[in-house]
This record gives sequence, C-alpha cells and structure tokens, in this order.
Amino acid sequence: MSKKTPRYIWVPLIIALISIPAGFIYVNWNKGGEGAGLYSRQWSPETLFAYWNPKEFYQSVDTVVGEFSGEQCIECHSALTPGIVNDWKKSRHSRVSEKVFCNNCHGSNHEQLHMPTPDVCGSCHTAQHEQFVDEKRFGFPSHALAMERALDAKHFVDKPKAEVTACLQCHSVASKCDSCHTRHKFSAAEARRPEACLTCHSGPPHPDDETYFHSRHGQLYLAEGETWDWSKPLKKGNYPAPTCAYCHMDEGKHQVANKSIWKFGIKQINPLTSGNEIKRNKWIKLCSDCHEADWSRDRLKEMDKERKRAWKKLYLAENILKDLRADNYLYPLAKERPPYPTDSAKDIIQYERIGFFEGQASAFYNISAIERDYFEMWYFENLAAFKGSAHGDETFIIKGHEAMDKSLEKIKLKAIKLHALGEDEKIKGQRENPEKLWFNGEYTEYNREHN
Amino acid sequence: MLACFCNSIFLTQRCETTGMIRTSLSQLLCFLIVSMFSFQVFAKEYIAPTSTISENRDCIECHEKEDKLLINDWQNSVHAKVKPVVDCISCHGNSHKRAIVKSRHDQTCIPCHGGKEAPVAHSYSSSKHGTLMQLEKNSYDWNLPFVLANYRAPGCGYCHMYKSNHNVSTTVRHDLMNDLDTERVQNSMRAVCQDCHSPRYVTRLFANGEAMLEIARKKYREANNLIEQAATEFGAEKLAAANSQLIKMQQHLKNVYLGAGHQSPDYQWWHGQPALDGDLLRIKDNLGELRRLKK
Repeated sequence: MSKKTPRYIWVPLIIALISIPAGFIYVNWNKGGEGAGLYSRQWSPETLFAYWNPKEFYQSVDTVVGEFSGEQCIECHSALTPGIVNDWKKSRHSRVSEKVFCNNCHGSNHEQLHMPTPDVCGSCHTAQHEQFVDEKRFGFPSHALAMERALDAKHFVDKPKAEVTACLQCHSVASKCDSCHTRHKFSAAEARRPEACLTCHSGPPHPDDETYFHSRHGQLYLAEGETWDWSKPLKKGNYPAPTCAYCHMDEGKHQVANKSIWKFGIKQINPLTSGNEIKRNKWIKLCSDCHEADWSRDRLKEMDKERKRAWKKLYLAENILKDLRADNYLYPLAKERPPYPTDSAKDIIQYERIGFFEGQASAFYNISAIERDYFEMWYFENLAAFKGSAHGDETFIIKGHEAMDKSLEKIKLKAIKLHALGEDEKIKGQRENPEKLWFNGEYTEYNREHN
Repeated sequence: MLACFCNSIFLTQRCETTGMIRTSLSQLLCFLIVSMFSFQVFAKEYIAPTSTISENRDCIECHEKEDKLLINDWQNSVHAKVKPVVDCISCHGNSHKRAIVKSRHDQTCIPCHGGKEAPVAHSYSSSKHGTLMQLEKNSYDWNLPFVLANYRAPGCGYCHMYKSNHNVSTTVRHDLMNDLDTERVQNSMRAVCQDCHSPRYVTRLFANGEAMLEIARKKYREANNLIEQAATEFGAEKLAAANSQLIKMQQHLKNVYLGAGHQSPDYQWWHGQPALDGDLLRIKDNLGELRRLKK
C-alpha cells in the first residue's frame, strides 16, 4: 500500500507551480507596451524620442534601398547634408590610416540604419565605454543612469510627451556619446572644455555654468582658456586652472559620479560615512594637484557646514508643510486635485508629497502654492547655494541663502493664512470646493487624456 | 575693361568721322582719354567706395541697381519698419572694405536683441549650436557666405539670413498665441536645417516644437480663462496679483518658443514648462483664496 502524500505538501507545490510562471509572464507583459522603463505600458513615445533614445525607439527610414560603402555614403551626403560630411572630414575618424566611415557606425544597409549608441562607440573605444557603464554602480545622479531614471520619473509618465521631450534632450547623455563629443567631429578636445557641459548644466536647479565662470578657476579659464593646449589629457600640470572635466572626469575617466558625495545637494547626506570618506580623500588628492592637502580638506569642511546650514532651513519649511498636512489645511488636498495617470493608486493612498523621500522632485505641478514655494526653495535656491559652495562662488552661496530665508518667511506667512482659513471653515462647517478651479481647464483636461 | 575697350573703338570710329589725322600717337591718346573716362564711369557704378559711408541712402542708391531683391527684402523686414530703423550701416558699419565679414558675426545682432544675458541670446548661447560657436568661431572662415554648411555651427545669421536673405522677418514668429506663422517659418527654415540634419529629423523636430509651444499656450489660456471668469466676481484691484502672474506667463511662454527654436533644453524646460506650471497653480491658488475669503 502506497503512502498518500500529505495535503500540506502538494497544495503549496501546485500553487508555486502556477504562480511562479504566472509571475514571470506578468513581469514580461509589464515590460511591454509602446513606451519604455517601469511604466512602459502607460505611455507612448513622441516620434522625436527616436533620436534621444535610439536603443529603444529608433527605426530606420525605408525610402532609400540598398547596401552602400563608406565612399558611396560620402558621395551622396556631400550634396544632401554637406555639414555632417564636412564635420567627418575634420574628425580623427577620417584621418587615421584605417578610416572609420559612416557605415562602420550606422550600418551598410540603408533600410536598416541605426543610430550609434555607446555600445557601438564602445566596440573601438573599449576603455572609455567600460568606465562609462561602470558608473552605474555609484547610483544617480550620474550620466550612465540618466535615461532610465528619466523614463521612470513620475512627471515624465504623467505629462504630455511633447512637453517632456525637453527632459530627454539632456538625459540622452546616457544613450549616445555625442552629447559631449558632438557629431560628426567627435572631438576629445571639445569635450574637455567647460562649454561642452553647459547646454545641460545650466538653469535654476544646476547653475554649474554661472557658478564655475564666477569662480577663480572659471575666471582664469575665461581670461586665458583660448591659449591653452586642449589636446593634452586632463592630468596634473597640463592645465593652469581646472575645468568641469578636469575635476569631475579626472585623468579622462568617463565617470562623473565616482566622487559624488553630496549627490547634487538634493537630499541631506551624512558626509562622515566611510564611503564618503573615501570619496573625500579622492577630492583632496585631486585638489592637491595645485593646492595643499590641508587647505583642500578645510574647503570641503566649509562645504559640509554650508550644507548643514541649508538643510536646517529646508527642514524648518518642510515641517511647516507637514504640520499643515496633518491638520488637513493644505488647499486643495491631495484628493481634491485632478488625478494624473500615475495617480491610479490614489484611492488607497492619499497624501501630499513633501520632501525628497516622498518624491517631491516630481511634485512641481498640480500642487498648492505653498508646496510649490517649498519646491522652489529646495530645488532652485538650495541647489544654487550648493553649486556656489561646490564651485567656489561666494556670491551664489549668499544669494541662495538669502533667497531661502525669504522663501521661509513667505512659507511661514502663507501657513498662518491657510491655518486661519482652514480653522474658519471648520467652525462654519462649510468648505469652498476647489474642484471648480482645479479640475477643469484646457491644459488640465488635455493632460488627463494625453500622456 | 570690356566697356573701356568698346568705348575706345567707338571713339576711334568717331575720330574717323570727324576727319582726325589717323596717326598712331593720336589714336593712343584717344584711347587713353576714353579709357580713363570709361573707367571712371565704370567706377561710379561698380567699384566700392573707399571712403567711409555716412548715410543709408548712399548704400541703397548703388545696391538698388546691383541687387534690387536684397534691398526689397530688407525693406519688407521688421528692421526697416522699426524706429530707429536698423539700416545697412547699423549692421555693416561704414567701412565698405570690411562690411560683409564684420556683419556676419553674432556680435552684430546681440547688442540690439537684449544683450547676451537676455533670453533671445542666452537661449542660443546655451544650445549646442551656441556652445560650438563659442569654441570654434576663431577657426571659421568668415569670408564664406551663409550656405552649404560653410560654418560648422550656425550663428544668428546662418539661420536668420540664410543665403543673404535680408528679410529676417520670414524666419521668426510675430504672434506666439496662434499658429498663423507656422508654415512660413518652417518653409524658410527647413533648407537651413537640412544643410546638416536629415529631412526626417527636421520634420520631427518642427512637429515637436509646435506641439510643445501649443502645450504652453494651453497653460496660458487656462489661466487667462480663469482670470476672465473671476473678473465678474472680483474687482481689478483684487485680481492684480493674478494678473501680474499672467504677465510672467507671457515671458515663460516666449521662453518655450525660444527654447524650441534655438534648441536649448534649458529654455524649453526650466525657464519654460515647469515655470508655466508654477504660474498656473499660483493663479489658481490666488483665485481660490479670494473665494474662500469672500465666504
């Protein structure tokens, strides 16, 4: 007589046999859809995305048929698009003994052309590509993770895609090399100069251009940069003053995140962890190319102090907002705001995003004015002060902190007002319905349907 | 020289008719006088003046004969219609020798268009075209005309005065709030972009720019409608804050336009769309507060 298998064994076994493949199928299905990233099923791309993220979205034209050699490409395109042929002729690709022609990077079959991704460039430039990909382990902000983090951002998924193309233009630094080495010259010397970075590294949240050019280092560059020999590698003794790349990509290493301690100033970090101590020593070693080690260590300590000052102010403002949220005095409340596509889980969790850890980096639209005030204080004024502090521009530190003080006062006054209005309405028992203002309107309605 | 030669033959013949003695010396003299005369006539029409030019009409007087279209283009442009007029000398200077090369540089345009910190110039200088221009301008041959990608990065003139088109107004929008100008601007720009970029890329870029600008307009119109509706409830004094926010929106909308036109992601985004989001929600907040206070 055979012994019967007990139920507590075969029931879980069957459940596991069904649920594990089902899980795999679900995950696979979830990655589908027209878009890309975590929410790929929730959006479809603009046609222009093909150029900013070729790996995901590029499809070749089928108007020209046939296989072509490099010389043939040049022959036609000299007439069609002379600019890119001129550029290529100036590039090193055209001057080396074994020329790198168009078809080496784009493919020979005109119906199946592709836009070169870093992997394509990496097939020759192995060392640089390895460094670039390896950057991912230092986390975000970094160049190598820029595209995937952009596609996974709440506001990217939420907003009309024609609007957020602007984001991808800079975040494409992860998906193609010509953000810094512009096509089709692909010059190393060009990428060494500060101007190569400033198309993306400018504007309110990261005024890297202004703070650097205001600093002593930047002033020296502006005064005599034209005369420096930019063909030299980024090494000690080759440049009289450091540039963006000299410090952030020291010795030509294609990584910007490996020394990143303060993470763009977006969140408060503990500067004294062992990991950060290693990064700090890397900075000191780098600064020691020109300065004394002790002097450099002191400058970094000053930066720690400035950051501490900034976060004291930011937490004061954050707490005011959290108090208002606890009392339900924000107007409108989260549940009274028009739901955006990624807000589908809204019925279960309703809360206003305040601060870095709740994802306020994505909450700059469809929020109350006081939250926006805090967003600007944190994302524009604080980050401006941080950049001033990091690049050695005192005026930006002062300006940033003054602006933060002003914002804090504004938030305090606004909070008193909201408190009074909210309390008043509570006593009367009737609340002015914000829906009329917030739910409808041309853009709000368009955004709800087109993301 | 051809004119000179013909004239000398004509005069030689006249000499024959007047019965002048046909010696080789007199003929040579005759030829010399006529040559000098005809050379002067020639000079009056085609040789550039060497002294400084003081008035615009001096330029037009000659250039109208030489290239009427160019003068017409300028006369149709906004440059000829504003006061004070932006005339030939404003851009080309009054030295005929360096007139063309001098005017091709961006520095000719920027001082009048708000200086280099103003959104018009800054949206360009922070774009990839602008940064390349900054790095490479000294290596370009500025004697070359604005065509056939003679310049690796396009400056103001390459796009807005392509092939010496002196009607700059064909390349810009006059009214940002509707798309009446779309076709004209795209038609005049398409060939410029295609000197370097593929036709498909250019088409998609144009379509995206239009869509992006339309989204900005939607935000503006939403805010404008709310304020118009509120005007029946509240007086102008109470709506002052909302109205001043609306004026800020106009600049932010223009930033989106400049960002798309000059391909500056920073202007499309940080100075544009999120700034408009902020304006819109502040207007809503302001009107909401007025309604709550009224109750």
